[in-house]
Amino acid sequence: MTLLLKQLFALIKLLNSDTGTNQIAAGFSCGLILGFAPMLSLQALLVFICIFLFRIQIGAALVSAFFFAFIAWLFDPVSDVVGSAILETEALRPMFTAMYNMPFVPLTRFYNSIAMGAGVVSVALAPLVFFGSKRLVLAYRAKVVERFKRNLWWKMWTGTELFKWYANYEKFRG
Amino acid sequence: MQIMKNSADKAVPATQPGSGKQGPVRFEAIIPLAIVLGLITLYFTLFFDMHLRRGIEYGATLVNGAEVNIGKLDTSLWDASVAVGDIAMTDPGQPARNRVQIGAVNFRMLWDALLRGKVVIDEASITDVQIDTPRSSPGRVLPVKKSGDGEGYGDKVLAQVKEEFSGNVLGDLAAIASGADPKEQLATLGADLKSSTQIAGMQKTLDEKNQQWQSRLAALPKGEEFSALQYRLANVKLDNLQDVTQIQASLLELDSIRNDFDAKSRSVRETGAALSGDLAASRASFADLDKIVKEDVRSLQARMHLPSLDARTLSRALFGLDVLGKIQQVRGYMDQARSYIPAKSEQENAVPVHVRKKGHDYVFGQPHSYPPFWLRKALISSRLQGGTSDLSGEILDVSTDQSLVGRPMVATIKGDFPQQGISGIKAELVINHLSSVPVERLVMEVGRYAAAGRALASSPSVELGFSKAEGSAKFVAQLRGDNVDVRMTNRFTQVTFETRAQSDVVREMINASVAGLDAVNLDAHVTGTWSDLDWQLSTNLADALERGMRRYLQDKMDEARARIEALVNGKIDEQRKRLYARQGEMESALKSGLAGRQAQIDKLRSGLDAARNKLDERKRALLGAQQQKLKQGSDKLLDNLRKRF
Repeated sequence: MTLLLKQLFALIKLLNSDTGTNQIAAGFSCGLILGFAPMLSLQALLVFICIFLFRIQIGAALVSAFFFAFIAWLFDPVSDVVGSAILETEALRPMFTAMYNMPFVPLTRFYNSIAMGAGVVSVALAPLVFFGSKRLVLAYRAKVVERFKRNLWWKMWTGTELFKWYANYEKFRG
Repeated sequence: MQIMKNSADKAVPATQPGSGKQGPVRFEAIIPLAIVLGLITLYFTLFFDMHLRRGIEYGATLVNGAEVNIGKLDTSLWDASVAVGDIAMTDPGQPARNRVQIGAVNFRMLWDALLRGKVVIDEASITDVQIDTPRSSPGRVLPVKKSGDGEGYGDKVLAQVKEEFSGNVLGDLAAIASGADPKEQLATLGADLKSSTQIAGMQKTLDEKNQQWQSRLAALPKGEEFSALQYRLANVKLDNLQDVTQIQASLLELDSIRNDFDAKSRSVRETGAALSGDLAASRASFADLDKIVKEDVRSLQARMHLPSLDARTLSRALFGLDVLGKIQQVRGYMDQARSYIPAKSEQENAVPVHVRKKGHDYVFGQPHSYPPFWLRKALISSRLQGGTSDLSGEILDVSTDQSLVGRPMVATIKGDFPQQGISGIKAELVINHLSSVPVERLVMEVGRYAAAGRALASSPSVELGFSKAEGSAKFVAQLRGDNVDVRMTNRFTQVTFETRAQSDVVREMINASVAGLDAVNLDAHVTGTWSDLDWQLSTNLADALERGMRRYLQDKMDEARARIEALVNGKIDEQRKRLYARQGEMESALKSGLAGRQAQIDKLRSGLDAARNKLDERKRALLGAQQQKLKQGSDKLLDNLRKRF
């Protein structure tokens, strides 16, 4: 829980800084795939490993995974239709048959209509979410954070001794 | 904002000023990752088996309907093996006893299949199987699910049969034998006869119809209108017509009268036809009344608990619920088998699709590939010390896709449970879903089992059962698609009956009926489809009871039946007579109302036809004469011309 909270605070800090935009956007994209994938599946494990191994903002990934899991649940009927249409495509049948009998691949549960539909939708939307969230983060920083910085109360607060003391503390603490 | 920037940068060391640019890989996460992996390993080592055991216990309890306990469960990741021990399944009917107790179940899965997301067990062993064992503490029994709307038509039919078989026929017969007076019951019955209500309804309908028909007849053309047409017809000139012009004028007048006549007579004709139809329908509804009267008699017999004293009814009352219980079990197992082992699709080369809780699973199998689940062989062996169990058998090819495996599921078992007094068990179950029509066949024999203490009928007034008996049974069930064919044979030998009754007469009657009967046979045959089952039950016990009880009860029952019929007829007789009289009056009044006009119509029609014929004849005669005259004139003219030239 502490780790999770720490990651969430890190996400808030990062949102309010000038850096880490790509990491946050990648976190949202990974969260989308994670939220749309079945909980116990190979692709969920791979995304988790990626989140831990690469500099992807874990807080963003986890928060968006929760959010997108709810969206995915709402869209289960749509995913079922999309997945069924893909799995019933005659031209893809030899490929699916090969995949079904390969090691590891069936652990993705690609043969389930909802897993397939949600998986395809999430992979298709991942780049859009990446670039979209990147633009949103930049817009947030330019409009919300900058306006906050110009706020009189914030200026008064940054002028206080307490703030200066805390700034020094943060600086020395690294 | 510098503070905010610094603090945020700290969360992501890659952007921390002064610490140098860091690559995309989070190397510093190796230690936390190792800790997480360590924790996962620790969980699987210490807690996984316990949680899995609890999960299986929970699921098995739901399936069993009563508490299922698992003493120990060991899993091994490297061997992909599972060992389950001390499985105890509570008997929902007797929570203090186990339905089945299994010493150990061991199996090993193939890693090759597991990596493909399939479960394939080469060989499993089930050892130390016992039945009907005592529990250390009574097991929890789950509440029975109430039948919902979602149940199929077949389930509803079985529920109706259950209601029919649950009747306390023997108790009702005992009540009659012990001297229950039908007069008292009859005095309170008969106030709400269906036939009485029906007659009142019919009377009301009849009055309404009469009014409707009266107003409809009043709207028909009056007799005066047809008289006026008759008058016009009489004035049409039919005689002394000298030329065609006069005939034509008469014909025109006749056509005009005909048109008026057709318009007026059509509505009379249509009304007459509708009236005949309506009256016929009324008479048909009277025939239904007789059926309702018979229903009333039957209903009163049921309310007075006056059963039929025949072997068929007694057979159903004695053994119907037993047979029904077996049929319900067969249906339950069939539903499960068809749900988990779907039959082959009717379409050639179609991908089998299994409906799951979430979405559909498509099985892209190919020959010689693994199905999602396949237990190739399970050996059952049980030789416990003290002779509590001696069982052996095998289960072959339990798979979720028989078309991939290419073989049906076959389970055989044989053995004895000496402690429970059961021996000569032989059973074979074949589940063949290789074709599009699923077929299940179960043959089960029990050579000998103790049937002492078994109750056959139980009611406050009378109880009948075996105080001593040995039974043997054979059960053959064959299900093919929706078709059912179940045969059940039970033989009870060395039978001693036990009768308890409040009345001495009843006890004497039943004892006399079963005296000398030391063997009881039951033959049951249930055939048809799940929505329409034919139940054939026969037993020599029912025959004996029928013969014996008839001597005591026939007169009383005949008398009671006659009284019921007399009661019903007495209640409705006056009403029925009034109704029939009213119907007769209405019919004759309506028919006579139409008859006068019908006679006028017939007379007018014949007059019109005669006048028309007469005019046509006169017209033909005049035209013939004119033609002759013209011919003569032309001949003469031609002669003159010939002479001139």
